[in-house]
Amino acid sequence: MSKNVEHSRQSAPSESSVAALSNRYTYNKFGSRKRLSDRLTVAPSGETLKDEVGSSSETRSPSENRKKVAFKEERPSVFVKDLDYNNHYIHTGQSPVSQIRNIKNPIEGYPKLNKLHTLKKAQVVKHSTKPYGVRIRSDRIIPTINSWIEQYSLKFDVIMIGALIENQFILPLLQSIPIHKLCSKPGFLFIWATTQKISELTVLLNNENFNKKFRRSEELIFLPVDKTSPYYPADKGDGSLLQKQQWHCWMCITGTVRRSTDNHLIHCNVDTDLQIESPNDTRKNAVPDSMYRVAENFSNSNRRLHIVPSKTGYDMPIRLREGWVIMGPDVILNNFHPAAYIKDLSTSSLLQYKTYANGLNSVSNAQYLVPQTDEIEDLRPKSPTIAGKKLQSQL
Amino acid sequence: MTAEVAKFQPFIKFLLQNERVVENPIRGQIMMIMTMYYDHLRNEHEHGSQVDNGDDDSSNRDDCRGIDHFVDFLVQFNQISGKSLVFNKEISSQNSNASMINSSRLVWIFRTKLLLLQDRLVGKEARNIEYKSHLEPSEENHNSIELLDALDKPVFSQIEATEWSKDKEILECNFATLDNLLQRRTASSQLCKHKASLKSAKKAYFEVCNNNNHNQVLANISFNKRNGGSGGFNKSSFPSVIQTHQKIDECQSMMSQEIYQCSKRKIHFLPIISSHTDLYLGDCSYLDTCHKMKSCRYLHYYSLNPLVQANSICRGTDKVKCIGDEYTMGECFTEYEREITPAQWINCDIRYLPFSVLGKFAAIISDPAWDIHMSLPYGTCKDDELLSLPMHELQDEGIILLWVTGRSIEIGRRALLKWGYRVSDEMIWVKLNQLKRTIVTGRTGHWLNHSKEHLLLGVKGDPYWLNRGIDTDVVVSATRATSRKPDEIYDIVERLVGVHSRKLEIFGRDHNTRPGWLTIGNQLQGTLIQETEVKQRYTEYLQNSKTNS
Repeated sequence: MSKNVEHSRQSAPSESSVAALSNRYTYNKFGSRKRLSDRLTVAPSGETLKDEVGSSSETRSPSENRKKVAFKEERPSVFVKDLDYNNHYIHTGQSPVSQIRNIKNPIEGYPKLNKLHTLKKAQVVKHSTKPYGVRIRSDRIIPTINSWIEQYSLKFDVIMIGALIENQFILPLLQSIPIHKLCSKPGFLFIWATTQKISELTVLLNNENFNKKFRRSEELIFLPVDKTSPYYPADKGDGSLLQKQQWHCWMCITGTVRRSTDNHLIHCNVDTDLQIESPNDTRKNAVPDSMYRVAENFSNSNRRLHIVPSKTGYDMPIRLREGWVIMGPDVILNNFHPAAYIKDLSTSSLLQYKTYANGLNSVSNAQYLVPQTDEIEDLRPKSPTIAGKKLQSQL
Repeated sequence: MTAEVAKFQPFIKFLLQNERVVENPIRGQIMMIMTMYYDHLRNEHEHGSQVDNGDDDSSNRDDCRGIDHFVDFLVQFNQISGKSLVFNKEISSQNSNASMINSSRLVWIFRTKLLLLQDRLVGKEARNIEYKSHLEPSEENHNSIELLDALDKPVFSQIEATEWSKDKEILECNFATLDNLLQRRTASSQLCKHKASLKSAKKAYFEVCNNNNHNQVLANISFNKRNGGSGGFNKSSFPSVIQTHQKIDECQSMMSQEIYQCSKRKIHFLPIISSHTDLYLGDCSYLDTCHKMKSCRYLHYYSLNPLVQANSICRGTDKVKCIGDEYTMGECFTEYEREITPAQWINCDIRYLPFSVLGKFAAIISDPAWDIHMSLPYGTCKDDELLSLPMHELQDEGIILLWVTGRSIEIGRRALLKWGYRVSDEMIWVKLNQLKRTIVTGRTGHWLNHSKEHLLLGVKGDPYWLNRGIDTDVVVSATRATSRKPDEIYDIVERLVGVHSRKLEIFGRDHNTRPGWLTIGNQLQGTLIQETEVKQRYTEYLQNSKTNS
């Protein structure tokens, strides 16, 4: 089988292509791979380029080789190796996403990861503040935030802005939000954006207010399963060539966090950058559960703010969530007061003071954390440690 | 000189047969019509079918007499037929200079007058002719512009009066009705979609069986030592799918009929349980791509796909194909009989190849080896080098698809803007593993695991001929060799720009070559060019660069 994959060419490949070939793999039908290089015979290269143009018609094309592989076992019947979901969609209208097998339980087949998710969820709930809502007119959001900062020097570690709605008027908010005062360091920002808004947001994130502090670290995507989903984005004829089926959320990081040493602050690689609408999630929400969970699993900090800058419409409710302060014009509950929140926060979280040098003065900063258990520490994915380093840390 | 009246007879016949000379691609150019007419005369003569024209010699003498003579001929013809030929500029035999011939075009043929003249020439009596005028004199493309407008609208664009609103004098227009109206699909997108389903060959598709009992029973039978199976596995000793199916056929009596039938209809993943497998650990993160399958304690699977008849893969009868040919938006009208250009590729250093050699393209795919500050087994490309490529030479209008990862998403967007494109879509590739699940483990990203890759789609100009809205911006496909991208993308592009338009892949490798596409890159083996113009230009370029050095 693999012999057919190998390109048997009479004319000599140029030396650069030989070097490239040594890095190429071939897959047999079970998906295991072999290096090609050890079986590749290299003829001395002496032909000029001009000859190559002329002689190439005699040589067998790679696509011909491929054809031979595909139809080798054709005689009575063949088996299909890869399913073509997009072809299936063209013919049946069944969304490719709906055919993915772990939509219902993304971590199916991984008991360790499953346990980790359960433990983390329990830990987050155990140490969360009660759900807070701030019902507020769009134009009052910025003045209110300013007053929190001035009067209570309130800061948040995780700030999510926007939701799964079009026309959310996110840019005016982002332009005026005092983000460097509102967001602690290190802090994490999650911004929802549509494809069309991305270019505008890019410009914005590179301006003074953001770029000096925020690095765009991941691009999260939320996928509705199919057209019947309440999260399916509307086709507004905005010049896109394909049917839109995705929501983008940018994850930005400010301050220094290292994934190898700052395990009290962040847990990396617990979730993936792609979340698919779960059939278990029957309650529609302006931001799906799984996206809140990505933020909660990643950051172990306890101060979480979500701003929905505009009205979301009558069929897109904003549900409150334990551990989060959610503000926006369509939030139903209005129970937030900074002083009470700080008190609640102090009792529910683990307080740590971090001191860092700021010019000549050293400033100490309170960190409100979700304490982690040994079991979680044991289960969470870790960066590989170099043998020498590991020894050092043990000493 | 006055031509004899009988001489017009073959010309009338020619015109009646070739009324479409006023349309594309000839558009009534006098030079072209002349050439066609003389060819026509020659053919008639050779086949000896000039039965109704007794005066063979005179028509032969007129052959290839040059444009002046032909214009003269046309003027006379118009006189005798009562202006049956309508030109956009009056032609006359006096000043038949080159500019007049080039600028004046035949825009309409008055069919009735032609038929009348033909009758008169044969000597028939005047009669009433039933005729249908096919072509009206009109502004160029007048019709097609109207059609384009119609395609951009939904098929139904009125707000339908519901039972409830009929009673009221003023039609109430609530948010839902308006939203519904806005989201109606346009006629063109519906037609495109229908055409795509008619024209793309249907590939075999199977569901995956989720019944654990089925998988377990089938695994026991297939891998059982007692009936000839092998107990322990390593990668090289897996039986082929056909062998396994044969074994299942042999052991049909050992399982229920339901399971047997299911094994022939659905995909099964049979757990491979070896002595070193620890079931409590769960599935291996790498599954079929695991390097240490011989010793890995995690669970691996064997994919048992159903068998299909080889010829049933491409089902699509000719009749269905013909219906699909009727809507040709974005394609050449001779599309149904055109062959697809075979695969072409050029091994070259993209930085130094002058792109003017390649010509213009409707679609470009590029998968650059971005320099992402990671040690990769292949050479990477510097950002500046990539940004400075003269990409503007490759397209006047069309689409470009650019694979980006992590840090390069930003550079990719900037590159597209710099090259004169507008980012219209962001496609993602959802990567699946052997078990058709998303990849959630294995620390594939820095902060979060990565289970998708991004593909930016840029548009240049205003290509109205694109078939929009057929596919979604999500491609779900299994991973293959390192950095190899899914082939589904090619199908999506072909549905967007049509299978016959010229398409280019930059930074391609051997597995990227395919019919209809030109692939360039420095990892390709040799060069194969089918299009003569490109071949000529490329050979010239090579000769020039040789003489310069």
